[in-house]
Amino acid sequence: MIQDLLQTLFNGAAIGGVYALVALGYTLVFSVLGVINFALGALFSLGGYLTYLLMGGTISANGGLPGWGLPIALPFPLALLLAAALTGLASLVVEQLAFAPLRRRQAEPLLYLITSLGAGLVLVNLLQMLMGAEGYAFPTSALANLPEAVVIAGARIRSVQVLLLAVCAAAVIALTFWLERSRNGRALKAVAEDPTTARLLGINSNAMLRLAFLLSGALAGLGGGLIGVSISLPGPYVGISYGLKGLAVLVLGGLGSVPGAIAGGLLMGLAEALVPSAVSGWRDALAFAILFAVLLLRPTGLLGRRVVEKV
Amino acid sequence: MIDNGLLVQMLLGALLGVSVYLPLATGQLSLATPAFYAVGGTLAALLSTSWPALGARADGSFPLPSFVLELALGGLLAGVLALLVGRLVLRLQGIYLAIATIALVEIVRVSILNLPFTGGAVGIFGIPQPFPTAAGYLLPALALLALTGWLCQRLEVMPLGRAMAAIRDDELAAGCMGIDTTRVKLTAFVLSAVLAGSTGALAAHFLNTWNARQGSFDTSVTMLAFVILGGSRSWLGPVVGGLLLTALPELLRPVGDVRLVLFGLVILLGPVLFPQGLITPGVLERLGRLGRLGERLPRESEP
Amino acid sequence: MSTYLLEVRDLTCRFGGLVALDRVSFGVQSGEIFGLIGPNGAGKTTLFNLISGVTPPTSGAVLWRGGAVTGLASHRLNRLGLARTFQNLRLFDGLSVLDNLLVALQRRPRSTSLAGVLASSSHRQAEQQRQALAWQLLNELGLSALAEREAGTLAYGDRRRLEMARALATGPELLLLDEPAAGLNPSEKDALCDLIAGLRQRHNLTVMIIEHHVPLLMRLCDRMAVLDFGVRIAEGTPEQVQRDPRVIEAYLGGGGAA
Repeated sequence: MIQDLLQTLFNGAAIGGVYALVALGYTLVFSVLGVINFALGALFSLGGYLTYLLMGGTISANGGLPGWGLPIALPFPLALLLAAALTGLASLVVEQLAFAPLRRRQAEPLLYLITSLGAGLVLVNLLQMLMGAEGYAFPTSALANLPEAVVIAGARIRSVQVLLLAVCAAAVIALTFWLERSRNGRALKAVAEDPTTARLLGINSNAMLRLAFLLSGALAGLGGGLIGVSISLPGPYVGISYGLKGLAVLVLGGLGSVPGAIAGGLLMGLAEALVPSAVSGWRDALAFAILFAVLLLRPTGLLGRRVVEKV
Repeated sequence: MIDNGLLVQMLLGALLGVSVYLPLATGQLSLATPAFYAVGGTLAALLSTSWPALGARADGSFPLPSFVLELALGGLLAGVLALLVGRLVLRLQGIYLAIATIALVEIVRVSILNLPFTGGAVGIFGIPQPFPTAAGYLLPALALLALTGWLCQRLEVMPLGRAMAAIRDDELAAGCMGIDTTRVKLTAFVLSAVLAGSTGALAAHFLNTWNARQGSFDTSVTMLAFVILGGSRSWLGPVVGGLLLTALPELLRPVGDVRLVLFGLVILLGPVLFPQGLITPGVLERLGRLGRLGERLPRESEP
Repeated sequence: MSTYLLEVRDLTCRFGGLVALDRVSFGVQSGEIFGLIGPNGAGKTTLFNLISGVTPPTSGAVLWRGGAVTGLASHRLNRLGLARTFQNLRLFDGLSVLDNLLVALQRRPRSTSLAGVLASSSHRQAEQQRQALAWQLLNELGLSALAEREAGTLAYGDRRRLEMARALATGPELLLLDEPAAGLNPSEKDALCDLIAGLRQRHNLTVMIIEHHVPLLMRLCDRMAVLDFGVRIAEGTPEQVQRDPRVIEAYLGGGGAA
């Protein structure tokens, strides 16, 4: 019994880690720009497909180029990192197309929601045209070096779940470390806290903004690759679903709060995992019901800052 | 290219656009419309297929009075739900409100998907038809839109409408001027829900089948695009936005799979090219309206 | 027992660790013009925010005609007879000047939404009355020519007067003016003085003013209170306050007189 519970909790934490990655992706852009990047879900999907292709996967029969594949087949870790980096670059393109034109006109925040949605739609549909709408399973050789499962405290955990959790944890730790310790990371935080002072201190806020988008895309892409290898890629809209959950986690933890995103992600993942399989269809609703309940009690999320309006 | 079926779809889009617009007119970004749309549609689907008293006939037709009744009931149920949820939700601000309403949409969607009587993933099919052809639905859709437009137009010259605009500009100041902002916001929210619910009931019959996917998150943001691209300063904006953006993916069909990419491009570029949407305040002026709000009644005392 | 129209007792407001107001007590009598002065950051606007229901107090009480109104929402306080303007001007910028007033006039008289939707005669009558009142106020404050202009496009001085007109439109007994003379030149300040005195008379008002420009208040006010670091350090007639050593010391560092 305990073993089953451990297994469940582990799985929940692993998925929660992915939610946290996505939520952190939103957080980075939100803290610098104050808006939600609705294209992040599409970037998640992109990361998944890129990882697949970089590992030598080929396009399925109902894709745009059936049977086509990249002339390389990288081992999973390398493919994942490269895919994440490429997704980061794609995120920069999204920034140029969907955000920069509005920033030049000092547009109201609502407009960014629409343009980023548009960018996301374009990306998802491009992916669909290229890869087709069917699901992709990653080559089983992906994790050839790892055993099928490991035993932790008597519970049998799939290696790939351990990998998921480990990578998420590493990414989160690396990000937090970078934000606190590195020069660029602290500069980013400075721009988020107080853009005017940051500029006075000579920090290039445009560069920091692009850095935020780059990292944000990389995190989403990382999530996509991880989900792809541990579960599968059911279709280009998989990212939309994780993007939405990530959004729920973002708000649950409190907008702009890094610890909040992490805590929220874990909470969400664990709660979902604990839903008995008999009512598994309700799992998605649970995430949002939790969010709803939290917001009613704490209108700015668990760790969000209360914005006091100056009168 | 634009057949009767598409016209009805376009009108539905216009109606849903106005539904999203109403809370926005009080400065509240609520994306809950698909939830109420789904509720209304599910009710109509259930009632018409499971309640013989409404008179669904063996040949699949459906009496007109029952149809109208369902429109009313769909709106009513949605309105009641909005009333219950609204007070809680409208205490939230900005993006928190938006996400909470998205959460509501998802909760409703998953509930419809999982409840035993709503047909699961397949949904409810064989919904009886009050009209033999798509053209028949044009009249109720137009009537609903006309009613909605008339109501919105009346709002603009009423204290309630002015209060909504004031709250949109500055909620705090509006409160200090004696406006019960919670009540006004809730009214807009409930009106929005009633409209969405009735539209859902209409759509359920029109589409002949109804399932949980009818109300989902991506539709709610798309409907927001109707409002933003159409123009968020008047109810005409979401009507135009809804008509155009519903027609667009269909009109692009000849182009093939790339049409959805093009649709996404329109949404991407729209706010950049038309920051105030298509129906700008300038356009409204030229439509011969003396100021956005207020019938200027003859003044007894000239300055 | 209170003869005051408005009274605050031991009003305290804490934001986290910061004490913005510390057990402030005083009363405003019906019909008087009451001034509130103090250096920057003394807590004057915070006090207005507490009185007008914008911010809830941490402790203490606000009394209206002797009855407790602490913690009531702004709109309820306004309906009791309390109106205010804002230091940073919070007009409804997207609405016309006339509509700004009509919003504030919506209860004078009230008409039901149903009547409005059906465009019934009761609605038209009510609208007519509201518009008549609006024009009266516009005339009184010299804004008639700007009636259809969008409030956001007005010049600064006109915006200030519109803000006052809008507050008046709610038909208050007590008018709170937050720095009404900010940004006005000396002759405009004089005109403002006369305007406020006139308004008090014509509308049977009690007025409470926050101002930096002390000489203006010295001329205008019947009584004053002085805040410094959230504490009420003096209360009395302008002459009394002027001679109070604590007041002189508080202002010694700058700001204050002229």
